[in-house]
This record gives sequence, structure tokens and C-alpha cells, in this order.
Amino acid sequence: MSPRRTGAVALRILQQFRHDRRTLVLLFVAPIVILGLFYFLIRGGTSVPAVDVVNLDHGPVGAGIASRLASSTQITVALTGEAQAESDLTSDRVAAYVVLPPGLSARATGGGTIAPQVHLEGTQPGLTQPVLSALNQAGAGVLTSLGAATGAHLPSLEPRITYLHGGPGLDTLDYFGGAFVGLVVFFLVFVVTIIAFLRERSQGTLERLMASPLRRADIVAGYMVGFMVVAALQAVEVALFTLYALHVHNQGDVALVVVMTLLMALVAVNLGVLLSMFATTEFQAVQFIPLAIIPQVLLSGIIFPVTSEPGWLQVVSKLLPLTYGVDGLRDVMLKGSGLTYGPLLVDLAVVAAFAVALVAAATATLRQRAS
Amino acid sequence: MSAPATVAVDSLAKAFGSVRALDGVSLRVGAGEIYGLLGPNGAGKTTLIRSLIGLIRADAGTVTVLGHRLPDRAVLAEVGYMPQSPALYADLTVEENVRFFAAIHGLGGRPAGLLVAEALELVALAERRRSVVVTLSGGMRQRLSLACALVHQPRLLLLDEPTVGVDPQLRVELWQRFAQMSARGTTIIVSSHVMDEAERCGRLGLIRFGRMLAEGTAAELRRRAGVERLEDAFLALAEAPG
Repeated sequence: MSPRRTGAVALRILQQFRHDRRTLVLLFVAPIVILGLFYFLIRGGTSVPAVDVVNLDHGPVGAGIASRLASSTQITVALTGEAQAESDLTSDRVAAYVVLPPGLSARATGGGTIAPQVHLEGTQPGLTQPVLSALNQAGAGVLTSLGAATGAHLPSLEPRITYLHGGPGLDTLDYFGGAFVGLVVFFLVFVVTIIAFLRERSQGTLERLMASPLRRADIVAGYMVGFMVVAALQAVEVALFTLYALHVHNQGDVALVVVMTLLMALVAVNLGVLLSMFATTEFQAVQFIPLAIIPQVLLSGIIFPVTSEPGWLQVVSKLLPLTYGVDGLRDVMLKGSGLTYGPLLVDLAVVAAFAVALVAAATATLRQRAS
Repeated sequence: MSAPATVAVDSLAKAFGSVRALDGVSLRVGAGEIYGLLGPNGAGKTTLIRSLIGLIRADAGTVTVLGHRLPDRAVLAEVGYMPQSPALYADLTVEENVRFFAAIHGLGGRPAGLLVAEALELVALAERRRSVVVTLSGGMRQRLSLACALVHQPRLLLLDEPTVGVDPQLRVELWQRFAQMSARGTTIIVSSHVMDEAERCGRLGLIRFGRMLAEGTAAELRRRAGVERLEDAFLALAEAPG
């Protein structure tokens, strides 16, 4: 090994960085963005699920548990009636509601078992844990002070947990599987399209297409159709593998899972074509992965529920197509929603709208780039 | 010029940053002519050719092709363009490439098949039609690129240094084909810096620093410079003031 020759290679690499400002910026900006997002998602977020508390007990124990729940830092609590709580849960406004049944205080002072009912929404495991833990803490606190005051046998706390969707039978993969089906297809289709379209440009054939009677819209639409044939097969394969080989829980219609995944692939194709116009080399195209994909994955609710993000990040999340795709897939697979379920229709429509908007943007950008 | 020109360029100017690639070029090329653009690297030949198909929007001046004032996409169906570096789909076969370019010009079915076969015959690649492009030599790719440019039988053929990397024997054959096409009415504008090719052009334009220095047949240019060889004529005219 010769130091001079090694030095020459190293120097050349640094020179290349100097000429590729974008890569340099990316190397130093992307980590800040990604780590910053993690900070806001984990620490900055109001990662506290909203919980309705229905207190039907007229004694001190019910009131005590309710007030301790209200002051818990793990959840945000609203005191409501049972009907209101039920409707909040089904419309996703709360992650759970707790019912403190009548006669709770009497049972507690008698030293028996008290059983508050916990109704969990169930599709977001990250939100389930804080609810149960807050309830246990509140219950234990009240019961301990009760025991200290009366000196009687300490009653035990056994919450009765029911799930609106899912349940204890579901594991982590069941919760994430639906989102991953969409994510895997979205990611791979995006990467393949952005590289393919970039190659069209770098090998000079895009110039030839521009010099032919082909219209820009023909090119973008052609890419869309061509890649969708492959993406469709991929979506079917991924969905079937996930459901029938991995036995990921699916409550809903397989066809809807495939349709949603296909719409996400459509968005990915057009996003790939659009972003490829802002890259001049395959190297730069690959750099769009940390920029366009990782933040989307973090913000789409796959891992961190959108509702527990800080307000301004929720706004960002709602501008990203993946958020709607993931939500839709979870609606189908975990809630068993069909086409009669409003929020699922919204998800489908928004993802489709993103696809259309991106076709238009890609076509417009191609026009500008050409001249 | 009485008959309407196939290509008419007037005072065309285009700058890339501070570099004036074209600095007031005017040009008339009639139907069936073979017009050679001669000039050193960076003279503006490629920029001029690319502005003839609307790939470059000029800063000033006008371009009229086959009676259409550019930009006008309608004219593109009648023009064939061969870029300087062979722009091909490396993972497709020879035939698939040519067939694709026929298809985007609206040709399909049996007529397209005949045109594809004809184009491949012309560039002597018929036997390699099932080869994938990555397996072709540089010269073969160049020929395939030419086949893609002329498969739709355009009325105007724009060739940017078409014979780079093509061996002498095939180069002679290609120029014979160009002459045949020209005789059938195809107008050909070809850039080159190979002087023996220039001799085969009907008329020549000498370009340097984005300006048209001289125009005429090879014989006229030699006479005007008072020299025997076209190469010397080019050097003499390039140095002459104005």
C-alpha cells in the first residue's frame, strides 16, 4: 500500500464531495432532520392517549380513581357519560374509556375485588399500555390509602378489559403487518421508478423522447401504466404472503387491502417520476430515500400514532400520502372496515388524489425541465 | 431562395450562462439537401441541431422547419434526430429499441415491422437484431442509434456526428445511403469534424464561436480560401476576420 496513492484516492473523494454540494448538504442536514423528528415524536409529542372516564360509583373510591386518572401524566382524561364515551371510542376520538361501575366503593370497603371496565380501541398498541398503567397506578393509590385509613384487608384491582378491535390475541406483527404491506410496496416501487426514470435521462433517451411526437403526459402516463403492471403483481403477492403465509390478522376484505396497496403504489410511481427530475445522478436519486421516505415512515403513524404527535407535526403528517394509506390499511385489516366506513373512503380518496396531483406535478416538471 | 426552405434559421442566439453557444446564426437548407455543419468542439454545432427540433429554446431568432415555426410539436413526427452519444435502452434488444422508436412515432403492426427490418438492414445490424444492446460494440451502438433516428422515414434527418466510432468501410456505406435518401427527397443536416465526410455534403457551413463563418460547397470554400485541402480552408476561414 502506498500512502501517496491512497492519499490520491482519498483526495479525489473529497474533491468529488466539494463538487457535489447536494450530497454534502444531505450528509449534514438529513441526520438533524431525522433525529429531530425522533425527538419530537418521542419526547416533544403529547404521547398521551385521550381517555374518557365514566364514573358511575357514588362513593369515594370511584371519585378517587377518577381524580387520580385526571391528574395522571400518562393520559388525558375527560369525564363523560357512557353513551358519549362509546361514541368517542368508535369515532377514534379517544383511545379508551374507563367505566367505574356503581357500587365500587362498597365493594372496596368490603375488601372485595373491584373491576373497573376498560374499553380499548385496540388498533394502536402504543396507546393501550399507558391507559392500563395509569389505571393501575390510580387504583393502587386509592386502594392503598383506603387500606391505611380503615386498616382492613386491601381490596384487589382487576380491570375488565374489552377491545373494540383486535384484542389480546393480536401480536405486534398483527398491528404492524397492515401498515408494512403498504410500506414495502410503496418503498420498493418508489426506488425502482426513480432509478428507472433517472436512467432514461442519464442515458440520453429522454432527450430522444422529447424530440419525438410523444407528449410529456404520454411519458408520465406510460411510466405509470408500465410500473403499475409490476406493482399490481407485487401488491397481490405481498398481501397474500402477509395474510396466508405469515397469518397476519385480517378482519376485512382482502380485495380492499390490495386496492389500497395499489393506490399507494400509484402514488409511489408518480412520486418517483417527479423526484427523479430533481436528481442528476443515480447517487442523488438514492439520496431521496432518507429525505422522502424515512420522515414519511416516521410521520405516517406506522410506529408513532399520529394523534400523539405535537400539533404542528400532525399537520405535516396529514400532508403525507403514506399517512392515509397506513390508516386505510389498518381500518381494513384491524377494524374490518368496508366501503361503508366513512374514514376508509376518505383514506382511499385522499391517496387517489395524491396520485392524480403527482401525475400533474410530474408532467408539469417534465415540461419545465425540457426547455 | 425561391422554393420554401425545409429548414430556415434566422439570427438564432442562445447563451448558457456566459457562454454564447449560438451568436446570431442564420441558415437555409432546401429539400433533399445534405448540409454539413463543420466546426471544432464547442463551436455550437450540437446546440444548433438541438434547436432545430425544439430541444433548445433560443434566446433570440427564429427557426422554421418544414413550414412550422418552432416550437411546434406537430413537426416532430417528420423529423428524425440522432444525438451525439448513442441514446439507447441498454437492456433491450436491437430490434426492440428500433421498434420502440417506430411506435412512439405512431407506427405499429406490419408496416412498422417492415420499416424496422429496413432500418436494421441499412445499418447492417439485421443479424444482431436479437442481441441485447449492452453486448454491442461502440460502433454498433452508433449504427443502432442511427436506425432509431430514421426508422419512421422522416423528411428531415438531423445527425449529430453520426459516424463517430464507425469503421471506415461502413462509414462509406452509410454515406452512400445518405446520398440515396437525399436523392429521394430526405433533407439531411449532419454535423461532423471529419473532413472527408464534409466532402460528401452538398453544402457546408463552418461554425465557430457560435457564428457561421462561411457557407458553400466544399469546392467553393477551398477556392475562397485559396487552398487545396478542405482542412486548410477551414483553418484559413476560421482565422479570417469577420
